[in-house]
Formats: sequence, C-alpha cells, structure tokens
Amino acid sequence: MIGETRSAPGSGPMSVEQIERELGQLRMNDDGTLGLRASVLNLIVVTDEESAAEVTRSVSNIAGRYPSRAIVLISDPEEEEANLDFRLSAFCSSRGGGAQVCAEQVTIHAEGPPAEHLESLAGPLLVSDLPVFLWYQGPFSPSSPEFAGMADLADRIILDSAAAEDCERSLREIAELLEEEETPAVGDLQWVQLSPWRSLVAELFSSPERAGELDRLTEIEIEHAPDGECRALLFTGWLASTLGWRMLNSSRTENGREVRFSGPSGEISAGMFPASPDAPFRRVRLFSADYGFEVARSRDLSEARTAVTRDGEPLAERTVHLGTFDLGVLLGEELRYRGRDEIYERALCAAVEALEH
Amino acid sequence: MVIFGASGDLTRRKLIPALYDLATQRRLPMEFAVVGVSRTGMTHEDFREKLHDALEEHRSGQVSEDVWESFSKSIFYLPGDSKKPETYEELKDFLGRLDDERGTEGNRIYYLSSSPSLFPTIVEHLGEAGMNREEDGAYARLVVEKPFGRDLRSARELNGDLRRYFEEHQIYRIDHYLGKDTVQNILALRFSNGIFEPIWNQHYVDHVQITVAEEMGVGTRGAFYEEAGALRDIVQNHVMQVLCLTAMEPPVTFDAESVREEKVKVLKAVRPIPEDAVDGYAVRGQYERGWVFGEEVQGYREEEDVAPDSTTETYVALKLFVDNWRWAGAPFYIRAGKRLPKKVTEIAIQFDPTPHTPFARGETQGLEPNVLVIRIQPEEGISLKIGAKVPGSGFEVSSVNMDLLYGTAFLEEAPDAYQRLLLDLMLGDPTLFIRADEAEYAWEILEPVMRAWSESREVSSYPAGTWGPEEADELLERDSREWRRP
Repeated sequence: MIGETRSAPGSGPMSVEQIERELGQLRMNDDGTLGLRASVLNLIVVTDEESAAEVTRSVSNIAGRYPSRAIVLISDPEEEEANLDFRLSAFCSSRGGGAQVCAEQVTIHAEGPPAEHLESLAGPLLVSDLPVFLWYQGPFSPSSPEFAGMADLADRIILDSAAAEDCERSLREIAELLEEEETPAVGDLQWVQLSPWRSLVAELFSSPERAGELDRLTEIEIEHAPDGECRALLFTGWLASTLGWRMLNSSRTENGREVRFSGPSGEISAGMFPASPDAPFRRVRLFSADYGFEVARSRDLSEARTAVTRDGEPLAERTVHLGTFDLGVLLGEELRYRGRDEIYERALCAAVEALEH
Repeated sequence: MVIFGASGDLTRRKLIPALYDLATQRRLPMEFAVVGVSRTGMTHEDFREKLHDALEEHRSGQVSEDVWESFSKSIFYLPGDSKKPETYEELKDFLGRLDDERGTEGNRIYYLSSSPSLFPTIVEHLGEAGMNREEDGAYARLVVEKPFGRDLRSARELNGDLRRYFEEHQIYRIDHYLGKDTVQNILALRFSNGIFEPIWNQHYVDHVQITVAEEMGVGTRGAFYEEAGALRDIVQNHVMQVLCLTAMEPPVTFDAESVREEKVKVLKAVRPIPEDAVDGYAVRGQYERGWVFGEEVQGYREEEDVAPDSTTETYVALKLFVDNWRWAGAPFYIRAGKRLPKKVTEIAIQFDPTPHTPFARGETQGLEPNVLVIRIQPEEGISLKIGAKVPGSGFEVSSVNMDLLYGTAFLEEAPDAYQRLLLDLMLGDPTLFIRADEAEYAWEILEPVMRAWSESREVSSYPAGTWGPEEADELLERDSREWRRP
C-alpha cells in the first residue's frame, strides 16, 4: 500500500469546527472531491515531546488496518501560562481503484492549567459512535491529575507496564485500577509481547500424549533481561492462573526470584533469572517428571526454537518466526480487542500476589 | 418590507446581509424597498451607513461597493414609536410614496423583529390603519419571529391577536432553523431515497436520538435566558421541528399545506407526558464551572444577569413517544443544552440489532447495531455505521463508520437560512414557516413539563464541557439504552 502524509500548516489555538474543516481539506483528492471517510476507532495518545515522532509513525503504520482518528496529547501541566497549540495531519494510503483510506491525526500541545484537563480537549474531537482507545505511551500513573477524566472517555486503555522504571509498582497500580468498577477494559503492551511465547508454550502440550503433562509440571525456569522480571512474573502468573495453581511463597534468591506453587500433583517451583542481556525474554523451560519443554530465542532474535525431550532424549524440535515487536504492530494487536481481557487480568493478579509475598 | 425594531441585532446580523446576498444574486425585484422603523432617531443615510458597517462585520466574503451602492438606494428609515398610531399614519404615507416612486404596487411585508411584547400592539395599529388589507392583487404579509408565546396559553393569545387583523395565509411565523439547507436535507434524504423509507419505522428502528448541543454559555444574554431556558429557547421550536421532519409521513406534494399537515400530525401523535410522572420523561440540568475545549468557564449561576439561585435549565433531556403506526413503541430521546463539549446537531436513527449473528462471539466484539446519523451542523452530512470484515485471515467483524459530508459532494456553499426564507416569503410560499396550530401543539407537548418544573426548585447540575447531568444518563439506562457520543 502506498501512503502519503499530508500536514496542515495550521497551528496555534483553533476551534473544534476549524479543526474538523481542516482535516476535511487534508483528505481531499487532487480533483477537489472527497470520498467517504471510513473509520473504525478513535485513538487518544498521551505522550511526551520526545516520543511524539515515534507515536506518529506507529499511528500511520496502523492506518491501513485501522483507519482512525488519533488525538496525540503532549502535555506540560507545570508551565505557569496556559498555552494550546494544534497540528493536523492525515496519512492516506491508496488502495486499488484509486480509493483511499485516511487516518487523521490531531496533535495538541497543552501547557499550564489546560494540561490538567486533557479530556476537555480530546472529547470534542472524537469521531462519533466509535470506540475510544486511550494509549499511555510511556510511564503511566493512574494518580496523574488528568487520568480519571481521560479514562471516562475511553472504552479501552492501553498501557505498557514495562515502561515505568519501577515495574513492580506499575503492576500493582494496574491491578488496583482494575478493581475499580468504573475502569474500562485495560490492555498492556508488555502482555502483548508475551503473546507469541504463550502460544508457543501452549503448542508444546497440544498433542494428546503430552497434554496430561500440564498437570504434572514440577519446575519452570525463565531467563529474562536484567530489568525484565515483571515480564517473567506475568508469564508465571499466566501459567499459574490458567493451570489452577495456588501460590505458597515467593522469595528473592541469590540470582533471581523463586515462586513456589501448589498444583494438582504437588509443588511447582518457578525460577526467574536475569540471564538474558540482549533480549527481554530469552528462554522458558518447563519440566515434569519425564518431560522437558523449552522455548528459546535462537541467535537471530526474531526466531524461536521450541523443543520437547523425554528422559533427556530429544522428541520434537522446530524453529519458528517469533513475530515482530515493533510498537505499531503491538498497538495494532491491542486495538483488536474491545472487552476486558480476563486472562490478562488473572495473570496480573497472580503476578502481583507473587510480589506481595 | 417594513422592519419593526430595525435598530436591533437581527436586522444588522441577518436580515440585511441576507437581502444584500439576494440582491447580488439578482433575486430581488428592482422595485424592492426596505423601510426600517424604530425609536432611534436616524436619517436614511445614517441607517444605510450603519447597515454597511454591519454587512462588512457579519457577512463572510467581500462586499461589492457597486452592488451596495445600488441596493442601499432601496433602504429607508422612519423613526417612530411603534406604540403610537401616528407612526402608522406616517408609515402608510411613506409606503404610498414608495409605491409611486419605486413601483412597489402596494405589496407589503411587515417584519416583526421588535420585542415580542410589542407584537400585539403593532398588529393592532397596522390593522386599525387598514394596512393589513390585500387590495387590487397586492399582498400584505406579516412575519413573526420566535418565540411564539411562552406557553400554550400565551401562544393561543398571540395567535388570537394576530388573527384579529391578519388571516392565517398572511402570517409567516419564522423559525430560521427550517430555512437551513441542512434541515431541508432531512426531507431530501428521507423522501428521495427509496432505500430508507421501508425501514424508517418501529419494525426496524430501536429508537431515535436527537441532539442539539452548543459549547457556548449564555454569554451576555443572561437576562433573556433566565426568562426562557433551554426548553423554550431551543426545544419548543428547533427540536420539535427536527422531530417532525424525522418522524413525519411522506407528504403528497411539497406544498405548504401537505408538508405542514404531516408535521402537525406528528405533534398530535406525541403521547402526553403524565403530569404526575414528569421525572420519568424529562430531566433538566444547569451547567456548573468546568472546562470546555481547554478553557475554564464559569457556571450558569455565575453568569452576568443570572440569579445566584436560578433554577432555569440550560439542559433538557426528554423521552417522547410518537403513538402512530409508524413509531409506536420506538422512543425518541431528545437532548439540548449549552456548555456541552461541542456544537453539534444530529439525528441518530438507531436500528435494531441483527436477529442472529452467524459469526463466532469472539469475532464480533467490535460489532454494534447499525446507526444512521443525519448531521445538521457543524459539518453537514450523513454517517452510517455498518459491520465489516477486518482484513486478515480470520473472520473478525467490526463496526465501521462511513461518513459522507454533503459539503464535499457539492462544492457550492449553501445559502444562509434567512436568504432562503426571505425569498420564500416574497414568493408567498409558507412551506418552511410555522402554522398556528403547529406552534400550539408543540407547546401542548411541553406543557406538563413546564408546569412541573415551575413548581419545583430542583435542578440537576453538570460540569461545563460534559454531556449533561447523570439523571439524563439514568433516563436511558432505565430503558437499557445509553446516549451515543455525538
């Protein structure tokens, strides 16, 4: 698909009507006509100056699959003087027959008091009747002054629990947020990145003769990046909540963390080790009395090797593409979902439980 | 055309710019003349100069001095007190002279743009001076600006006063809303497209939502608004007109009586709101301090000329039923208000969900029932929400909004509402004007609500920049529905 980015020269303060009119102009064809606008969703992004360019790139990447309106908010509530600045652009991709699909973007810089009322800026610019995704690109805190108002606008909030420096706190905050009744559905980009790992592990048990081993697991080992323990905890939380394990204790060890569970056939030990300097997630191994299961990144980090052994002897092995973890792709994945992701929520609760012990 | 209250805002902002535009389009006869009447002492020249300044201020686009030069020669001013009979004698003489000098042939349009309290007096004096008579093929038409009374009783009184001297066919009640191209487009959409009519009924429509939202507050009109409130200012006229056009049966022809008869039938079919259960059908709200598009704004009670304990509503939500074969059981939810998040007027036809979805539940998370939105302002157009397959190997189905902006299909700019209505007025076509019984039925529907509200001091509040009070949400939640986000 061939794409083209068009920008309006407009900046400075604008009214909602002016913005709508300018966006219409940007979608105009060369002959002055304007076809239908098709859109499937609204995306509000709260970000900072440095990340704005990357956000814009991700938004234009998803334009073909999710023609949408993105409202990118860059806020600085600490400035004393109120100031608003608007920039408009449209990313239009051509499909066969000259039809074009456009994604629109309104970038708003808000300084001073208006920056604490971002919902008043984003709300009137939403395309009517379509779902609203609120994406906190970067560190996020539900206690930030503008969050409650923004959450009211959203049908789904997309966060990245890995973006905060203190990821343990981040997991706890998201779990608390989910306990509140008014909170819309929450998606977590860190969780989306675990998605290929989860499906590869699940596939290892898909043959009938090995399915029963899920109930006989005794040990798990996860190798993660030095700052990636939260991801390992989420993954362990997923296994525990899916397989019905009950947590016994969780402790720091000399070289990582160990969480012990009680499962259908006795105790399970899950060890998490920061032994992967070059990838957030390097290897997952699961053991039962007779079997060993492994998913590991190969030297080429975009691929993974999966293997099953019985009594130490190789039984099956294959190498597959792990998928791309580009921000636009991850975001696109999250935009597929509308309702609450109960599997994530249960995994998160289990991960937070491990942190509390 | 005689304008009473000619020194007022309407003349400067709307009437003269509209007449000027008609002049540039060669739609005004050469004989046409405007006579402004009000108490302010001014010469013809002063009046023309004032209007020229106003034209430059209120009309978009350049003013052609040549057109103005020629047009302004047809503008005259007569200072006079509309309460005094002498004013009318003087006016009658003056108009007689114009008949001779300009050839206006006794045709008269009296435009009442003064304070509504003066309407009966002006009409009486016109009648007593014999200026209401249509003789020798000439016409005498009376234009009345809204409000048409402030309740059913006063509307009937006003109609009685007008008809004491003018016949119904001479009276043109103007609601500029109907002059908007966009509002007329509701009829075009409904009655020139075969695909909509078969599904435009309770068999296929779950309910209808009408939203008339403004982001502005009352500004300097606090004193006026205190007396009016949203129900009288917007709902009784604009909203009821939109309701009629949305719900009416197809008229046989587009002549005044056919169209107005069908509109009146809708109003007659609206189920009366029970006086002892008004809260179940109507919610009123008042804006508090809040944030509108990045700007902090004051609450209604803090506005200029507004009582600090005012109970005047700046927001109204209503649930109405149109009890006829077409609409029985499908409610019309209406909301109108000030200091809402944005300026928008929309009619949303919410269709029933599909009876059965063959796709897996997980694949249709993003699928919602069809909605057809007719947007009247700001950007006129229609939008249809349909289910479509998301590109990819699965069978994921999601809702897509298809928006068509009329403005982009037709490059010509729509004329101002007053232009259209003044032209119809001169041509003697009352289709887009309000008939006496139409105004009265619209009041009758709201009568129980007005009575209940006048007896209570309870008014819900909502922060400026939000979509109204919680009670309005509850009004729909009780029916397992919710307001859409316009």
